[in-house]
Amino acid sequence: MSLSSLTKPWAATSYGFLDASAKRELRRKMLKAIAVPGCQMPYASREVPMARGWGTGGLQVTLTLVNPASTVKVIDQGADDGVNAASIRRFISRVSGASETWDTLGASIIQSRHRVPEETLREDQILVLQVPNPEPLRGVEPNMSIARQMHADADYGRLWLTLYEQLVRKGRIMQGAAYPSLVNGRHVMTPSPIPRWDVPKLNMAKHLTFLSAGREKRLHAVPPYTKVEPLVFSDRPYRVEDHQQLVCRRSGIAGYFMNEIPQDDGSSSFEVSDSNLGIKAIRRAEGETVDIGQTWYRGGEFSA
Amino acid sequence: MSIDMSVSPAPLLPPQLMQTEALLTMRGLSRSYGAVRALRNVDVTVYPGEVMGVVGESGSGKSTLLRMMNLEDTPDRGDYRLRLPDRDDCNLFDLGRYQRRMLCAHHIGIVYQNPHLGLLMRHSSSGNVAERLLIAGERSFDVLRSKARDALDASEFPLARMDARPAELSGGMQQRVQLAKAIALEPALLLLDEPTTGLDVSVQALVLDTLKRLQRDRHITMVLVSHDLGVIRTMADRVLVMRHGEVVEQGLADQVFQDPQHPYTQQLVHAKL
Amino acid sequence: MAYVATRGGEKAIEQAERLFREELGTIDMARVAAIRQSMPYLIDRVMGEASLYDEDMAALALAQTGGELSEAVLVLRAWRTTQPRLAVAAPLLQEDLLTQRRISAAFKDIPGGQILGPTLDYSHRVLATDVLEGKPFAPPAVEPAAQPAPAHQPSLADWQRQQGLVAPAKQSHVAPDDIPDLTREPLLFPASRAHRLQSLARAETGGVLALGYAAMRGYGNAHPTVNELRLAEAEVVVRHPSGTPFSAGRVRVCQAEVTSKEKGGYLELGFAASFGWNEVKVIAAATLDLNSAEAPVGSPVHEEFYLYHTESVEASGFCIHFKLPHYVTFQSVLDAMRDAKAKAAATPVEAEQMEPAE
Repeated sequence: MSLSSLTKPWAATSYGFLDASAKRELRRKMLKAIAVPGCQMPYASREVPMARGWGTGGLQVTLTLVNPASTVKVIDQGADDGVNAASIRRFISRVSGASETWDTLGASIIQSRHRVPEETLREDQILVLQVPNPEPLRGVEPNMSIARQMHADADYGRLWLTLYEQLVRKGRIMQGAAYPSLVNGRHVMTPSPIPRWDVPKLNMAKHLTFLSAGREKRLHAVPPYTKVEPLVFSDRPYRVEDHQQLVCRRSGIAGYFMNEIPQDDGSSSFEVSDSNLGIKAIRRAEGETVDIGQTWYRGGEFSA
Repeated sequence: MSIDMSVSPAPLLPPQLMQTEALLTMRGLSRSYGAVRALRNVDVTVYPGEVMGVVGESGSGKSTLLRMMNLEDTPDRGDYRLRLPDRDDCNLFDLGRYQRRMLCAHHIGIVYQNPHLGLLMRHSSSGNVAERLLIAGERSFDVLRSKARDALDASEFPLARMDARPAELSGGMQQRVQLAKAIALEPALLLLDEPTTGLDVSVQALVLDTLKRLQRDRHITMVLVSHDLGVIRTMADRVLVMRHGEVVEQGLADQVFQDPQHPYTQQLVHAKL
Repeated sequence: MAYVATRGGEKAIEQAERLFREELGTIDMARVAAIRQSMPYLIDRVMGEASLYDEDMAALALAQTGGELSEAVLVLRAWRTTQPRLAVAAPLLQEDLLTQRRISAAFKDIPGGQILGPTLDYSHRVLATDVLEGKPFAPPAVEPAAQPAPAHQPSLADWQRQQGLVAPAKQSHVAPDDIPDLTREPLLFPASRAHRLQSLARAETGGVLALGYAAMRGYGNAHPTVNELRLAEAEVVVRHPSGTPFSAGRVRVCQAEVTSKEKGGYLELGFAASFGWNEVKVIAAATLDLNSAEAPVGSPVHEEFYLYHTESVEASGFCIHFKLPHYVTFQSVLDAMRDAKAKAAATPVEAEQMEPAE
């Protein structure tokens, strides 16, 4: 036995970039996060070769999950070709040997910033959401140690109060994206800044969702078939964005979350935010055989 | 150090309370903060429907006692029981944070001298009241509105301003918002910590009138802490006199004021007259 | 697929990076060496913030980022975190440091003496414009002292302990592997002192200065007196598998100990240390440490506030992330706003009532 027979050949970094000790810590925290749905688990959050705030939390989870048989889709604002999505996807495949895809149906891991794809995710898929601020209580309590105590006590009175105040002042709840939601009847989480449109997709979903904030060093999870309930008053129903009737100017599909494109004449036109869904629709319209999955919204109505 | 070991006669009760079981019982409360002994072996009993006045100079331990009643602090030693329907009798100081919070939300209201302690100044007045209801689990917006309105109305707060922020209101109005928040869930016990101190005399009288009316109409049990004997005299059925963390005298308000037994109480009463 | 072509995507980011790198030109060993030799204090700052002691790597990081400091620190940290932790070095003792500069503002003279060492403290800060006129600036030679200063000095705090001015040092017996390591564990609050000092050691210099300065100006409780400031070199003593301790090399370190007032019968001490010679940083950091005990929650001198906000990689990353598209969240906000406006327009009178008098 010699030293060289005991060691692996030198490599600049480990498989999947993160070294074994970092991955082990993440695996433990990810399992804990699944065990206590919606509860934020602190983790060391190693530096990765990407700036904080650019998906380093999601990236660390993805790098821990990925293996050479994985197929990875990365989207930013719903688009696979967003500059940062492209950069992250290229990095993941380079350090892991995983395949890349734009197709939601073909992905085993989907890392996303700000969106849940429109096609319904399956039990064999994992969604990894990049989270800038994991703390739904930040607005009412900026101090993290106090906020942690408030979660432990299920002390959400002041969070509810902010919703009450919005109704009093504006006649409706003004919370845009990142709508605070109760997970498994116990912990309030912020579902990362996905639009209200996407929150129902997490409720009793078939897939597992990780939400990871690299800069804030916290991750939480929504396991499959777990209740996710937006905080709403019993007599003021939850309202998703009013996009049911909007039509994509490129693909012609309607009833999905749209990006608004201001026009020179003062009006707006719209493009479907889940860009690969749009691409697939165009290709199908051009006569190609394209597999488009079941979507969460049908005819603009949510119907999981 | 010599300790005043003087008269502390058995608490006398108004006749109508003689047969009643106590609502609040505190036994042997002691609390030190560093070298300062804020409470020394304090016993308190409060009966349903009465107003218990607590007097003493600043530093006498009366505010500490009130904080203990509101479960904001835990004594070094002592036992605290509230007789509440549907609740097992236990020492409330043994409760955890969550249980304490829920107990206080449902059964104990408090009005602080400093409205900043009791109110969120940048939220609406009705929201301050609603928060209490939200903690207790109310989830209907319309019910929150109507209950907040009722509580503010009972506190004689002008309803046209129910959504104004406390920061925009006068001191007297802020105290009424605190009061509305405190009574929104019809608490078993209402704690008042110098509720009118610092208000103009005329405003003070109006707030005291509201308190009296509430007491008369709803029979809310109150513990009123004040350094102002006038306020205590107007409000209290019974009086507890504190000094250096100890109860030096207690009894029916009229008796204590007319025939103070302890030299300190005598000094207090005479200085006032 | 015209739909796809309209977006820049991968090609654009590739070319944007090329543009940046092309302007910096070829990076070779000569450039790295020149940076290392000519900018030792910048190297020290970067090594401190990266918590990675390697002058060549720090110089390389500066070269490949064109001196964009937060980027330089990020590449070093990202490299560092992939490396295994091979050993834990022995703690540094002040009397063992090869001290090159050591001053105290607390006493005129101290056991071991005040040693000015290399500093610009007393120089006139005049720009050497002659250099731009083509006349090189050659620094005058240092005249050696008649007697060299001793290489090792005792700790001033030890003398103060003997005098009963400073609380006795508590010997702590922590196994090397049990020493908390901020680079492998999350920072939680209240932070252990180990985490606090580690976090300050790698904090962003400008941020520490800003918050330390806020503490000094009056937002803190304690006005610092520099008890002892040291710039030194330290042996990195590790243990060979056979059990023999040996020096794996020498690193530049600095430390500041500041004091303010009496507490519980002793002088309070605040402490900070870092890789490299970063005087301003450690004085500011020690001041924050000193102020922590009594700091109100939420104040700039409270540890949660200053540790979170002086974390270079996190702060700079979050700041630049706002350049990323946010049109989904923005769309969500617009939707709520338009609906609220439409509601308000439909019921003007009621809306009037709901808005309280300001």
